Amino acid sequence: MSRRIAEHPILGVQEKGEKVTFLCDGEILEGYEGEPIAAALRAAGIMKHRYTKKEHTPRGIFCAIGRCTDCVMIVDGKPNIRTCVTPLKQGMKVQTQYGVSPKPFEKQ
Amino acid sequence: MKRYDLIVVGAGPSGLSAAIEGAKRGLQVVVFDENEKPGGQLFKQIHKFFGSKEHKAKIRGFVIGEQLLKEASELGVKVVLNATVTGLYMDKELVVKIADTIYHYKGDAILIATGAAENMVTFEGWTLPGVIGAGAAQTMMNLHGVKPGNRILMLGSGNVGLVVSFQLLQCGCEVAALVDAAPRVGGYGIHAAKVARCGVPFYLSHTIVKAEGEECVTGVTIAEVDKKFQFIPGTEKHFDVDTICLAVGLSPMSQLLKIAGCEMEDNPKRGGQVPICNEYGETSIKGIFVAGDVSGVEEASSAMIEGRIAGIAAAQYLGYIGIEELEEKFEENKAALEGLRQGMFAPENRGKLIERTEEGIPVSMNLLTKGYIAEDEIERYPGVTHRAGIHPVMECSQNIPCNPCQDACPRHCIQIGSHITSLPVVDESAQCVGCGLCVAACSGQAIFLVQEDYEPGYGTVTIPYEFLPLPQKGEKGYGLDRSGQRVCEAQVMEVKTAKTFDHTNLLTIRVPVDMVGKARFYRKSC
Amino acid sequence: MQHINDRAIAPGTFIPEPDDNRIICRCEEVTKGEIRRAVHEGMYTITEIRRYLRTGMGLCQGQTCARLVKGIVAKELGISPAELIPATSRAPMRPVEMKVLAKEEGRHV
Repeated sequence: MSRRIAEHPILGVQEKGEKVTFLCDGEILEGYEGEPIAAALRAAGIMKHRYTKKEHTPRGIFCAIGRCTDCVMIVDGKPNIRTCVTPLKQGMKVQTQYGVSPKPFEKQ
Repeated sequence: MKRYDLIVVGAGPSGLSAAIEGAKRGLQVVVFDENEKPGGQLFKQIHKFFGSKEHKAKIRGFVIGEQLLKEASELGVKVVLNATVTGLYMDKELVVKIADTIYHYKGDAILIATGAAENMVTFEGWTLPGVIGAGAAQTMMNLHGVKPGNRILMLGSGNVGLVVSFQLLQCGCEVAALVDAAPRVGGYGIHAAKVARCGVPFYLSHTIVKAEGEECVTGVTIAEVDKKFQFIPGTEKHFDVDTICLAVGLSPMSQLLKIAGCEMEDNPKRGGQVPICNEYGETSIKGIFVAGDVSGVEEASSAMIEGRIAGIAAAQYLGYIGIEELEEKFEENKAALEGLRQGMFAPENRGKLIERTEEGIPVSMNLLTKGYIAEDEIERYPGVTHRAGIHPVMECSQNIPCNPCQDACPRHCIQIGSHITSLPVVDESAQCVGCGLCVAACSGQAIFLVQEDYEPGYGTVTIPYEFLPLPQKGEKGYGLDRSGQRVCEAQVMEVKTAKTFDHTNLLTIRVPVDMVGKARFYRKSC
Repeated sequence: MQHINDRAIAPGTFIPEPDDNRIICRCEEVTKGEIRRAVHEGMYTITEIRRYLRTGMGLCQGQTCARLVKGIVAKELGISPAELIPATSRAPMRPVEMKVLAKEEGRHV
């Protein structure tokens, strides 16, 4: 998890919850309980969260505070979940959203 | 329907300050905030604030946030998080969404302190993953402990762009460039200087042509613009980056006030659509008040004072205090507010090119266009002195309301006086003992300790250092000048860390004597 | 105190610009060209543009694009953005699911 800040010169070592694992498009990833799903994804180097309905272009985190809705993904079967404000839980199933579906466009 | 004396929407610095003042006077107050954590923008701010003691100078933003929350809680203020106010109706009725349920509330007085949201600029490729707002970078770094990327380009040279660039450097990211379409740096010179001496190049009068990459950002092209902000052909420059940060201004989030029917105006000096209000923050609807960025984009220090004024005004409106107390407290707070709204960056000076300081000294044009004071400009400033023995050198060259350095020195070496925008001067008669308290106290990290006569051929420079890993005593490296260029070899003589320094370490390096006026940063030899 | 848009303003002929394919409303994927064309088709206020093109009606409800759309429409009409009537602000301020809107509880904080 090289994108995580181990020790910050001002903030020190950040307190985190329990380490948990979750699924992202079938791949097992690690994160900390309670942190935003998007933070765990970013730490793992994942940039793309969804593909848009019309132009099929990729989107990822933009505002990080739950306003722009570009970071939405399908979480435990529910689409349009804002990953930057939704806390991560053990065993969560996160999927890239194509439009609003987990299926790539060719298969829709 | 539950009723409260005062309902505050937004638990940022202005909302909490208002809640505290209301609760102090006996009001029953509730604060709703749509976010998971309170404090608004405060918890993302890891730098020391400016101003004077009453403005919480020298204290880091997130610490101020903690103090406000503690005070509010001790006074019995209820702060409800994850609570989105979805509508503000007639007779000051509110509808709030908390988790999966809608609740109705009625406030005898309401304070809207919802702050401001980031502006956007568009360019080819702006929707690619990797293009983020500056606030997003701060949230990721300072709240979640994750680097937004490895190599970043920052667009925007206002205080947000400058401060976030420095924060990116502090958490280990590389900042490839700082770009702004304007001809001059918009934020404080000292914020720019901190970033420039780390080697980040500034490109003023430039903006982004396109963000490159198929599925996410892999690079960016910028180009120079003319006075009409049109691209000048042939001036393109390319950078390999994985993140582009946008810091292009804020707009008040004033929609709730519009729904309620308050008179609004479009005021570019205040950032956009703002409610028309009197000096107490009362809008055209009696009993609905505003404070903070939602009534005009400024900063946290002024937001807190505006919040206090509005909280006290609400208490008077509801009859908890008399008009005399309101007027008395208002005058006090107004003086504090005016103290902040002075100097080169005062609201009335926005957009103007100030060519001389209040003292008549020419302002550094290099600072405004490249982010650092040039060699042939630095000697102008009263804080830059030369003496036998160790002494402070203050590279503070713009009038901003700030004076922690004056109070920091136990020997009274530094003078600013009662007019806190004045540039600091060194008292020739006072004897500096090299304690470094001034270096650590300066929120702008603009004070250095210099000893020109350390030993034959060498001098020392003590610099404020807020990075990890901390250099080790005896380590060898390079001295960098104000523009971040290597200018000499340097050896670390001492690294001082103390609780009173509040995470600003003092790094003393030994450099060739002719470099003591140049070396202002340090990098280890690889 | 808002100026009423003068319907007599003629925006002139539509001249394509090189950045007409720039996405402005990120949620509904509406481009700059579509917005500019809408002005030439007679949509002079933000509310009309919103109803015609769905700018500001997507998931984020205009949080990101509102100011940009305003700037483009104003430029096309040759007026300052401050002269445009802003889009009507209506509750709910943030997207709310219907089942939540319908769930009013008696218990309070």
